[in-house]
Amino acid sequence: MTTSNGRLPLSGINVADFSWFGAGPICAEALAVYGATVVRVESETHIDGLRSIGPFPPGKFSHNVSGYFNNYNANKLGITLDLNTEKGRDLALRLVRWADVFLTNMTPRIIERWGLTYEDLVKVRPDIIAAYQPMQGFDGPHRDFLGFGAVLGPITGFNALTGFPNRAPNGMGTNYPDYVINPMHTLVAILAALRHRRRTGQGQRIELAQLESSVAALAPALMDYTVNGRLQGRSGNRLPHAAPHGAFRCATIKVQTPFGERDEDRWCAIACFSDDHWSRLRTALGDPAWARDERFATLAGRKQHEDELEQRITEWTSERSPEEAMELLQAAGVPAAVVQNARDCLEDAHLRERGYYVQLEHPEAGRTTYDGSGFRLSKTPARFERAAPCLGEHNFQVATEILGLSPDEVADLIVEQVLR
Amino acid sequence: MTEPPSALDDIRVLDLTRDLGAYCTKLLADLGADVIKIEPPEGDPARRVPPFYQDQSGPERSLYFFNLNTNKRSVVLDLEDPRGRAAFEKLVPTADIVVESFAPGYLDGLGLGYQGLGKLRPDIILTSVTGFGQFGAHAHYLAPDIAGVAMGGIMWLAGAPDDPPNLPPCYQGYLSAGIQAAAGTMMALYHRDLTGEGQHVDVSMQEALLIAQETAMPQYDLQKAVRHRTGVRGALPINVPGMGPYEASDGWVWSYVGAPGGAPWTELLAWMQAEGKAEDLAGEPYASTIAELNMRFLTQVVLNPDSAKEKAPVLAHIDDVLVRFFKSKPKWEVYEQGQGRRLLIGIVSTPEDLAKNPQLAARRWFQDVPHPELNGSLRYPGPPYRLSETPWRITRRPPLLGEHTAELLGEIRAQGPVGEGLQTVAQPSGSEDPDLQERRRRQ
Repeated sequence: MTTSNGRLPLSGINVADFSWFGAGPICAEALAVYGATVVRVESETHIDGLRSIGPFPPGKFSHNVSGYFNNYNANKLGITLDLNTEKGRDLALRLVRWADVFLTNMTPRIIERWGLTYEDLVKVRPDIIAAYQPMQGFDGPHRDFLGFGAVLGPITGFNALTGFPNRAPNGMGTNYPDYVINPMHTLVAILAALRHRRRTGQGQRIELAQLESSVAALAPALMDYTVNGRLQGRSGNRLPHAAPHGAFRCATIKVQTPFGERDEDRWCAIACFSDDHWSRLRTALGDPAWARDERFATLAGRKQHEDELEQRITEWTSERSPEEAMELLQAAGVPAAVVQNARDCLEDAHLRERGYYVQLEHPEAGRTTYDGSGFRLSKTPARFERAAPCLGEHNFQVATEILGLSPDEVADLIVEQVLR
Repeated sequence: MTEPPSALDDIRVLDLTRDLGAYCTKLLADLGADVIKIEPPEGDPARRVPPFYQDQSGPERSLYFFNLNTNKRSVVLDLEDPRGRAAFEKLVPTADIVVESFAPGYLDGLGLGYQGLGKLRPDIILTSVTGFGQFGAHAHYLAPDIAGVAMGGIMWLAGAPDDPPNLPPCYQGYLSAGIQAAAGTMMALYHRDLTGEGQHVDVSMQEALLIAQETAMPQYDLQKAVRHRTGVRGALPINVPGMGPYEASDGWVWSYVGAPGGAPWTELLAWMQAEGKAEDLAGEPYASTIAELNMRFLTQVVLNPDSAKEKAPVLAHIDDVLVRFFKSKPKWEVYEQGQGRRLLIGIVSTPEDLAKNPQLAARRWFQDVPHPELNGSLRYPGPPYRLSETPWRITRRPPLLGEHTAELLGEIRAQGPVGEGLQTVAQPSGSEDPDLQERRRRQ
């Protein structure tokens, strides 16, 4: 399809990104790849933990080469500003005056200390769209509770509901709500506010409490309690209305790793939601005698004998690669999917065909991979044009071109340790 | 008091989604769009997904369906019947957005793909939400939620190393695809508002989730090392006291004491002492070890797991005492008292804990939505975000099957004699397996 004269949806929109870690930066990156000019404000005195955690390219270690950080900050201009200084806070408000959208996931305490509340911002930019992503909210008895993504999973209910009933509540293995639920809910809210401002000239304040945004993602279990009084717990990989439903062990493979050759477990997800799925699965398995057992003929029967059912299916999958199992089952009309790891995803031929991953050249990290956009627009596709900024990379450019300072003034601010 | 405005109060959405994509149109509806849910005569299959109100199944009792369909209207319309199609075609010019989750090409086959819709409404935005997107080798693969979380790389990371990868709860694949689809649709709408140009938004459940692999993708990209699931330990190669889940007297809590951002381990020790439960930890060799349980120690352990070998018995004893301490207290006390001491400790909330959470209560987060047919109100999850001028809100309970068919019929009749394609079906027809019907529709 045709493109729209090179114009992107958010061309001309300016964003002051005062966020860090995952939930804020990922949202601001989405604004940036759809055309907004995003200035990411950081400080050497308050460094984004993702710059320190890594992973790093082999033999390199600096705040500029973390793959974790860089993946969430493409297309942004990066400046360092010490907001614990008065001049730093003045410059922050100058940036807000330039901005259409302000975004932060800092705690309410820090926002108040830095003078970046909504009331502070509207004084310099009356129609600002200011999006705050506090952990618990700007009011309420738990307002100042500590937390970050790793505590958020337990608090919001993900851990109590993920995994097998005989295990501790291990959760998703990641700071899961940080990466899609919270940043992309915020993006929806910001786009709604931009639309309202275009129609009325009016800005507004957005508050996404990460607790609330994340709990909203667990509605079925929540309503089962608030309405029915039933307390759902961990139920492994099973669902009440499907059987089989789970991940089945496939043939182990040998892989080369930086630590030598290792065995790697392989898994294939299989799901039957109907008797039709089940009969197709049976056929695909070669119509074995066990599968003709009356006990497996109905969903109720398969649920009742699910342990044995899973064991039987594993006998079949364990002799195959998950790719072979998936292709065979999908061809037979049975939902099946490889449980892919990061290598599988990066080498996934389907994703390659779709051009999902993006490669960007970075002055220190070299050419590295970035996640592409989570949605595709046919006429105004996302544009990943620039790797994540090094710490303070665009201080001079932003200070002179956006904040309107003279080179002498910039030099003074560097000497006074404001731009750091 | 006049109602505040909505960001989407001038927008009409025709909603052809099933499970996948329904959260997208919910987000649009809760921001004020007029979302018309087009259901087949037997109803959206999501009406048959548990949990059900009072555990009795029925098309008007699914709590799963309820949450995904707040604020929407329902019209029964059979797109495979020429009359139904004609009625739909009458609706398209009144709509800004169509959202669908059929197999790629299905709507094209009915003449209702992006090209076909564009003839009826040149600036239409069509959002298609599928398992693997509109093109590519896997585009036609069947994709329930588990296929998305499996192929999107997040299932691999969840769970204990010797367990199968864990399924994320509550359909995170469908949900994430829905959020990304809502964001993409809003992006396309902003562009249309400015330029008059519509477009086709392609959302793949797999792609919607890939970024949630956290460090796993860059770790393989940069180091050619696959990140594996590690259960409760996270990145730590050994058990470190204070890091991970602990049983309280009535459930679980999760501790990150020692990680940066919270009070140090010595504060936890002071708490244990204040309650007379520190046992011998204030003496040596424990006290000096506790003083060192900080980020420096954690980093050393990650870089060189053997560095902690000598200390293993000491660490194990500290952990045993901590286990007893947490086990002696209710989870809410551990959470609130621990946070009162600025310790990084969270409650492992069950749905019951969330329903009772004082923070959510103080912020009036839950929403009680009247359901006259069920003789009462049901308690729904509240807003994912709060917009000060154009607030999120639920003004209408989810629709009964075909509840608004007559209403829409009136609107369309005014435009011409095609209204008969709208069937006033109030109850699901026939006994055919809904999954079979869905399959037929998808193929």
